[in-house]
Amino acid sequence: MDFRTDIIVDYMPFFIKGTLLTLGLSLAGIFIGLILGLLIGLGKMSTNKLVRFPFVWYVNFFRGTPLLVQILLIHFGIVPLFMSPSNPIVSAIIALSLNASAYIAEIFRAGIQSIDKGQMEAARSLGMSHVQAMKLVILPQAVKRMIPPLGNEFIVLLKDSSLAAIIAAPELMYWGRAAQGQYIRVWEPYITVAAIYLVLTLSLTYLMNYVERRMKTE
Amino acid sequence: MISVKNLKKSFGDNEVLKDISLEVKPQEVVVVIGPSGSGKSTFIRCLNLLESVTGGHVYVTGKDLTDKKTNINEIRKEVGMVFQHFNLFPHKTILENITLAPMNVRGIKKQEAEEKAMVLLKKVGLADKAKAYPDSLSGGQKQRVAIARALAMEPKVMLFDEPTSALDPEMVGEVLEVMKQLAKDGMTMIVVTHEMGFAREVGDRVIFMDNGYIVEENEPVELFSNPQHERTKAFLSKVL
Repeated sequence: MDFRTDIIVDYMPFFIKGTLLTLGLSLAGIFIGLILGLLIGLGKMSTNKLVRFPFVWYVNFFRGTPLLVQILLIHFGIVPLFMSPSNPIVSAIIALSLNASAYIAEIFRAGIQSIDKGQMEAARSLGMSHVQAMKLVILPQAVKRMIPPLGNEFIVLLKDSSLAAIIAAPELMYWGRAAQGQYIRVWEPYITVAAIYLVLTLSLTYLMNYVERRMKTE
Repeated sequence: MISVKNLKKSFGDNEVLKDISLEVKPQEVVVVIGPSGSGKSTFIRCLNLLESVTGGHVYVTGKDLTDKKTNINEIRKEVGMVFQHFNLFPHKTILENITLAPMNVRGIKKQEAEEKAMVLLKKVGLADKAKAYPDSLSGGQKQRVAIARALAMEPKVMLFDEPTSALDPEMVGEVLEVMKQLAKDGMTMIVVTHEMGFAREVGDRVIFMDNGYIVEENEPVELFSNPQHERTKAFLSKVL
């Protein structure tokens, strides 16, 4: 079997551009997902059933339906309502953020609820308000426990950003498909794309391991 | 100092406290004893509203905790609590454990809070552990830090919920010693415990609880040597 490295060389500028967009989509998804996830996680922990209800169903929907379906719904259904024509990058960021926030909300909730309730009692017995106790006692401990599952979620998010190729957001996978279409070759573009994704996820793994170690020695 | 009137507490259908009334005077040390499941831990946790109250009234420093208008955080500043499982903050050093509430709740400056914390740590004999983390301490040391942490808020009352029950036997003494000193210094204390020796030696009054009621209360010498109720006699014959 011949392996045409010239295809890879030809397409390298596009792969690099695509990689940058993949990183951009993932970072935006992580950032917005974290903020939304914290709010939704807190909402889901409300003791009031009516307050909890919309948050529970937010998570049910975004965790229970395929991301691909969500991307298509958002790109062709939601985004056109306020943007014409709808920009695939905007759609991808919205879909990835909303989807990630559902998982991140659950990570936050699990992290906070894993802290022994004696910690909250001790903080409250010293006169702290609920918010103070959360901020000073519960969250600093919970965040440490959230790091490994969050790392997991970030890796999933990075890989899932490849689904944005379907709405022609010019990220890494999009250029892989373009190269395959142009040269009618499978191995060269897809192996290259896979290798780049692997480099990205491994870097992320090492970064999260580093963060985890740093928090432990503290 | 503390006044409890017809306190009732239920968990669902299970009525744990049935009708508790009690007056605690300033500087008094009240020891609560009784078998497991008698409601004594629930009772002491009602005194700073860690458990919500189902019925009756609890007055602390004159304010009714069961009144919705009462700001419970204000009351809790004046009521220190020591738990069976210490509940130190594992992500903070010993010194930070003690200064956290004075700085954030009372608004005391860091330097002043740390100086006061060091005085308290000396008092409980752990000044050399100020920079250590709770995980590196023994159970007895942790509980002494927990006492110092509660004292740092300068409470008017201290509640102890089985403070020695989770300790190895040889560490019980060091914690009781700190508590004895505290009683000597004139602190108002309510202590739930199984340490009958402590009850006899330090308590001004001993309360025997069973099945959600106060069965009997008396001075320690009287209660231990001459219990009036059958239930008290049966309990004491098993533990003494």
